[in-house]
Amino acid sequence: MKILSIVTKLSVLLAILLLLSLLGYAIFGNRVFLKSSPIVGQQASDFTLELFNGEKIKLSDIKGKAVLLNFWASWCIPCKDEAPALEAAWKKYKDKPVVFIGLNVWDDKDSALLYLKEFGGEYENGMDPKGEIAVEYGVGGVPETFFIDTSGKIVDKYIGPLTEVIIDYFLGKALSQDHGITKDGN
Amino acid sequence: MGIDLKMIRKINIFRKAFAFTTPALIILALLTSNSIAGNIDNQIREISYLLMCPVCQGQTVAESNSELATQMRAIIKQKLEKGESKQEIIAYFVNRYGETILGAPPPKGANWLIWILPALALLFGGAGIAIFLHKSKSEKDKRKTKAIFNEPQVQAESKYLEKLDEELKEFES
Repeated sequence: MKILSIVTKLSVLLAILLLLSLLGYAIFGNRVFLKSSPIVGQQASDFTLELFNGEKIKLSDIKGKAVLLNFWASWCIPCKDEAPALEAAWKKYKDKPVVFIGLNVWDDKDSALLYLKEFGGEYENGMDPKGEIAVEYGVGGVPETFFIDTSGKIVDKYIGPLTEVIIDYFLGKALSQDHGITKDGN
Repeated sequence: MGIDLKMIRKINIFRKAFAFTTPALIILALLTSNSIAGNIDNQIREISYLLMCPVCQGQTVAESNSELATQMRAIIKQKLEKGESKQEIIAYFVNRYGETILGAPPPKGANWLIWILPALALLFGGAGIAIFLHKSKSEKDKRKTKAIFNEPQVQAESKYLEKLDEELKEFES
């Protein structure tokens, strides 16, 4: 009976330990969301974007320039927070080999245009009505920004509102590979 | 004249055959197209249930009404119509969103823990409970037996039986 008692206690203890291990793995285990994106390091998927001014822009036509690809929506509050930083950065990098592209997703055209009127965005902005570009880039929320280097490779993905410092850092990385340009864009 | 009648008969037979077969063919075509569409819808649903909606809390792409989930279902449909397989479509989404988009983690590497641990926990926990219950029952049975022999009526009967034994022995001797 003593043995049964010990075996019972050990079984229950083992069951509890196993469940705690499972919980620990769920919380601390190697999960993909800890990495930025599985497409970082890969060539950026080509797309054609219809801009709000009626023109079209094709990613593969942008050769030899770094690209900042920013996904946003008019209802997105952090997007409004980052808008001034994006506008300031665009002006700063205007004479550098950098292209800023804003991609509006999960939105309606009127709201998007109102947003652009209020929050700037003088660089190219267009709409992705079917969400095909968003899914192609694995976008799971807004704002999300991809930094593409001059060879067309995605060097990083940033989730959340940008600041000028963050933009400088990632654009520096995207530019520094082929042009020997320093991180502040010079 | 005879030839004309034969021709007319042939034409009439042909007309009757056409009249019967055409609706049948149309119905067959409709049924087939419905079953193909139904088949694609089933496939879309099947794949959508295997993928988690990236913007939702705990909902699959099949269950979610979010714009992204709707767009993902449309992309799944496009890919199926192009002839892509279920595995190719799932791989497409995993390559873009990572393995967290899967409803169930693939059984590889450390993910095996997620598949095995609950079963082991159930096994050991169940064994523990079974042993505990068995032990409790044994204890209960023992106490019950003891209680029966301690009852005054049983004690009285035992004394009577003892006395009966003594007298029988005396009688025999």
